[in-house]
Amino acid sequence: MRYLREVLASRELLVNLTLRETRGKYKRTVFGQLWSLANPLSLMLIYTFVFALIFRIRPDVGDPSGLDVFALWLLCGLLPWTFFSTVLSVGAGSLVANASLIQKVYFSRIVLPLSLVGSSIYNWLFEMAVLVVALSIVGAFVLPWLPLVLVAMLLLAVFAGGLSLMLAIANVYFRDTQYFLSIGLQMGMYLAPIIYPVSMVSDVSKDLGGLLGSPITLESVFLLNPMVHFIEVFRNLLYDNRWPDPAEWLICLGWAVVTFTIGLLVFRANEKNLAETL
Amino acid sequence: MNDVAVRVDNVSKSFRMYKERNQTIKSAIMRGRTSVHEDFWALKDITFDVPVGSTFGLIGSNGSGKSTLLKCLANIYFPNKGTITHFGKLAAMLEVGSGFHHELSGRENIFLNGSILGMSKKEITRKFDEIVEFSGVEQFIDQPVKNYSSGMYVRLGFAIAINVNPDILVVDEVLAVGDAEFQEKCFQKFRDLKAAGKTVILVSHSMDTVEAMCDHAAWINKGTLMTAGEAAPVIAAYTDSYSHDG
Repeated sequence: MRYLREVLASRELLVNLTLRETRGKYKRTVFGQLWSLANPLSLMLIYTFVFALIFRIRPDVGDPSGLDVFALWLLCGLLPWTFFSTVLSVGAGSLVANASLIQKVYFSRIVLPLSLVGSSIYNWLFEMAVLVVALSIVGAFVLPWLPLVLVAMLLLAVFAGGLSLMLAIANVYFRDTQYFLSIGLQMGMYLAPIIYPVSMVSDVSKDLGGLLGSPITLESVFLLNPMVHFIEVFRNLLYDNRWPDPAEWLICLGWAVVTFTIGLLVFRANEKNLAETL
Repeated sequence: MNDVAVRVDNVSKSFRMYKERNQTIKSAIMRGRTSVHEDFWALKDITFDVPVGSTFGLIGSNGSGKSTLLKCLANIYFPNKGTITHFGKLAAMLEVGSGFHHELSGRENIFLNGSILGMSKKEITRKFDEIVEFSGVEQFIDQPVKNYSSGMYVRLGFAIAINVNPDILVVDEVLAVGDAEFQEKCFQKFRDLKAAGKTVILVSHSMDTVEAMCDHAAWINKGTLMTAGEAAPVIAAYTDSYSHDG
């Protein structure tokens, strides 16, 4: 409890560091904040070309929205994923990158990884706003669902924040962490239903039956990945415009709370040794 | 009312001297262990009190453990044994301008650095003019700090740190920067702090500085406290020790 109070007391610092990141990031670029869109848009173009045109992946038509645009369907899953992956990779390096500061000034160290979550949220909000405009133009009735989208974004941010707290500490002790992480994230992108719908996994799973003679199916293993559930929630809200299954909400909430709690505990246990270990 | 500002009680601090350190997973697995180390005691059982309102100098030769002690005082290192208790708000200035963002302007950096040092936005806004005036960079306050000369950089950093207005200020060898005029300004600021009943703890290699500024001092040699108390006898003991050797 005392620890949480200390973290709360440094919220102003958290805001200032977040501003430092957001203001410093695109300084002296001609396109400024637009760069935040460049990465997801280029991915969208190439994935749409490869997977919609060449592999002919056809996700279900949005129900009840009636949307049938692969590129937008893709972005509804891709934007949460790129946010998640950015938070993890910048968060993991946050303590090592600020080593000189940690060794010279005392402040609540947790603000370093958290401020990066903050600045990533800022970029993500901008990207999502553009997506919502695009969805509305093609006829999705997405506006009433926005409050719930924000809730889902918050849950994903808490989940990613918890993971990045653990990764930041791990990276101080083992610098391999960041390289493992970048491989993991690359694989994770294909293990989550971003460029293909979950229904395709269900079909394959039915054909295969129990794995190695056990009652465990491919689909049940696939669903262990928390990102599957987060992406489902985002697609339901943004693309289909309907209530996600309450069970999905609960799974997301559970992952977010558990991960963040563990992240806080891990961070707190190691915080005092940082100045020496770095 | 307590007349002790900081109580250092039986403080010991060890560092691990690694003979082998496996910071990559491959080497940790190959060698079957993460590290082989020996403890090196940088501070051994140090005890002294810093009286309220004093200017306290820590002296000793290079590698004697002064800076380690200072970092313990500043909450950056945590002692293995013993406790450090401070009565009142403590701020440390171990390096000026740490945490400046080079692309941001002086103005933005004042707010950023101030909050790293523990000031609230209100406090910074109130002291903003004073900070800018003290640093003497008025003209360039909206320029990115990467365009500052090294002197301006340090002056701005110092001006922010000194305006945190703590009860206890911990300073490491940062006075050796800036031109003579700015140094005089700094000394004046320290005298003001003293007059206001604040405690200053500083590390310096310049005996002239310590003599001129400190009323109390502690001499540390190879991690052990040789003597502590009134400044003059401590300084004399320290200067004696090396003039005899040499």
